Amino acid sequence: MDKRNILIVDDDPAILRLLSTNLKARGYEVTTATDGEESLEAVQRDFVDLIILDLMMPKVDGVEVCRRIREWSDIPIIILSARGDENAKVKCLELGADDYLTKPFGIPELMARIKTAFRHRGDPTVAPAQATFTCDGLEINFAKRRVTVNGREITLTPTEYSLLQYLAVNSDKVLTHNMLLQNVWGNEYSSEKEYLRVFVGRLRRKLEPDAKNPKYIQTIPGVGYHLATA
Amino acid sequence: MKAKDSILVVDDDLDFLEIIKRILELKGYEVETAPSADEAISRAEERFYNAAILDISLPDADGTELLSRLLEVQPDIVAIMLTGHSSVKNVVTSMNRGAFAYLEKPLDPDNLLSVISRGIEKQQLVLENRELMEELEQHNRVTDTLLSVSRAVSQSLDLQQIIDSALENVAKSTGIEAIFIYLYENDRLVLKGYYGLSRRITKAMRKELDKDDGVIGRIFEQASPVIVDHLSESSEPDIAFLNNKGYRSFAGIPLTILGESIGVLGVATGSTHGFSSKSIELLAGIGREISIAVRNAQLYEEASSAKSLRELDSMRTDFLANVSHELRTPLAVIKGSANSLLQSDVIFDEETRRDFVQSIDKDADTLSRLVDDLLMMSRLEANALEVKKKPHKLTDVVDSIKDRLDNLTARHHLRFDIPDEAPRVVIDEGRIGEVLTNLVENAVKFSEENTTITIEASPNGREVIVSVSDEGIGIPPELHQRIFDRFFQGDERKTGRRKGSGLGLAICRGIIEAHGGRIWVESEPTRGTRFSFSLPVS
Repeated sequence: MDKRNILIVDDDPAILRLLSTNLKARGYEVTTATDGEESLEAVQRDFVDLIILDLMMPKVDGVEVCRRIREWSDIPIIILSARGDENAKVKCLELGADDYLTKPFGIPELMARIKTAFRHRGDPTVAPAQATFTCDGLEINFAKRRVTVNGREITLTPTEYSLLQYLAVNSDKVLTHNMLLQNVWGNEYSSEKEYLRVFVGRLRRKLEPDAKNPKYIQTIPGVGYHLATA
Repeated sequence: MKAKDSILVVDDDLDFLEIIKRILELKGYEVETAPSADEAISRAEERFYNAAILDISLPDADGTELLSRLLEVQPDIVAIMLTGHSSVKNVVTSMNRGAFAYLEKPLDPDNLLSVISRGIEKQQLVLENRELMEELEQHNRVTDTLLSVSRAVSQSLDLQQIIDSALENVAKSTGIEAIFIYLYENDRLVLKGYYGLSRRITKAMRKELDKDDGVIGRIFEQASPVIVDHLSESSEPDIAFLNNKGYRSFAGIPLTILGESIGVLGVATGSTHGFSSKSIELLAGIGREISIAVRNAQLYEEASSAKSLRELDSMRTDFLANVSHELRTPLAVIKGSANSLLQSDVIFDEETRRDFVQSIDKDADTLSRLVDDLLMMSRLEANALEVKKKPHKLTDVVDSIKDRLDNLTARHHLRFDIPDEAPRVVIDEGRIGEVLTNLVENAVKFSEENTTITIEASPNGREVIVSVSDEGIGIPPELHQRIFDRFFQGDERKTGRRKGSGLGLAICRGIIEAHGGRIWVESEPTRGTRFSFSLPVS
């Protein structure tokens, strides 16, 4: 398999050097950009598998980069920011980022999150036994990772798809917040409750005819979520 | 019962006087008689008569002459001329001069009585009309005054402006000579403004009063006006200064709003009995207008101070967010580098390991500079920066930091233009050295290698202007103010350069202001930048 290429975007050269060294040592290819504009060019020019993105940057800031990339690509985005407040985190996740890590951070933590993001991109070996899932107009083709609602194709980011697939495969159960976080993201995410809220929200906006009154992904108050079956 | 109408009868025929007196008294008139013109005038000067009956020929004067003199003394008197053997000419003259009627002797008493009663009736009408007119005029004056005061005080929300314009307006529209206002603030009555009082007089005024102090305090507490007709007889200590300066009477009006006293309006004039109940009414109306405007201004002040507190609060939040951001960035490098070295899954080569350690070392320095800057900033903001000012030669200050400047500008040309004869400046040498270093550091950061950076000084009256100029990328005009704000980082910065704390220029400004100087920037994009500051001369 080709080496995976990671784009690091940060205006601090010391951070760029630190991350490049660590990622290269672990077998990744690395591209760097020092501002938002450069990063957008790099995403379009090079074949990039994942982006590690700083928020506070000259010219185009990280939030805007995230928003623009999501207009045409579902490439995994991990935000790496010196802003530790919950608002910034939720805002970035809602705009389509897959993960959010606050500076300062541990190297193993970052590596684990990169792995989680790649896992969501789809590993054929974990594809479910059944070929498709259908429920009242919603159809998921697991082999092709293709989702349609009443025949209309829906584009999902890898993380969104992972969450939907997990809900669909386990549609006979009510899934608790913890089960979802641990199985879709990983053990170290069990306290990231807002990830679940944001991603369920993102899925509902894409799938549900009326996101305020969801018919597919149902909230079981105080417990978790459940995907309705036909 | 209505007072009797009074009639003065003037005739040199004493018997005639006696008969007329009796006839008129029988009809309920009060009658006085005078046998001569002189006596008639002296009586008329003493009291008011409704009517006068004048013989046209008197021993000491012509009746028409007497008529003229009498009308001068009492313009409203009903004058009835008596003609015995008169000529038409006298009658016409009398009527022209203002007589009400003329009767021929011998008199028909009924005729006389009916003429008198018609005359007095007409006189009553004239007097009543005049009173109505006066009332109307007074009313108009009150309305005009109130309107102009109201207009003046509603044009501003600034408390002092309102008070000043109200006082000026009241004085001009009422003609009152001296006027002042106390307002209730923090449990005291505080003198807030005055008009028409000389500086010498205001020096003698009490600037603050207890709310139960003297006559002003009483007006405030009881919320009712007080008039002092004779200041010379008053022993009130808080208005004694008026009497000493020649004012004769005083009136004080409570300023109230919705039943709550908020202050006192005081007025004084140079005459005794200067204030009638009518003028108090007018002043009370003025007081109401002032009260409303004052309360509005007070509410506005309260609201805007609450707003500035909120702004301060949000500035504090921004500050904390900024500090946190600035601390986390170098910490991320330190933590990440140390963490990399500790990982067992990868073994880095010697050079890379050294690189990590160098990063830790460098960013620990950055962190420590940042902490220093933050401490400096907080000292400046608390006005707690120690500045040891002594006279120094600028050349000595520059010499003391020469090595550091040479290091900083190793790839630039550093030029000095400080005249030897430049006067000594009173400064903390170390602090000003920091400012210069900081400005040179900025110049280096934002200009190309091999360009020139110049430090100049030039005397300017009581100060010396010091400037640091470069030939760099310049600063767009819209940022000239903001660059001195703490944590401001220009967006046009070349990428890849290491950020400063964003506090450098804020600290420079703080240090210069602590010396009583100013700091400013002149720059155009691509045409270089010149930072200048002023320092006081010894």
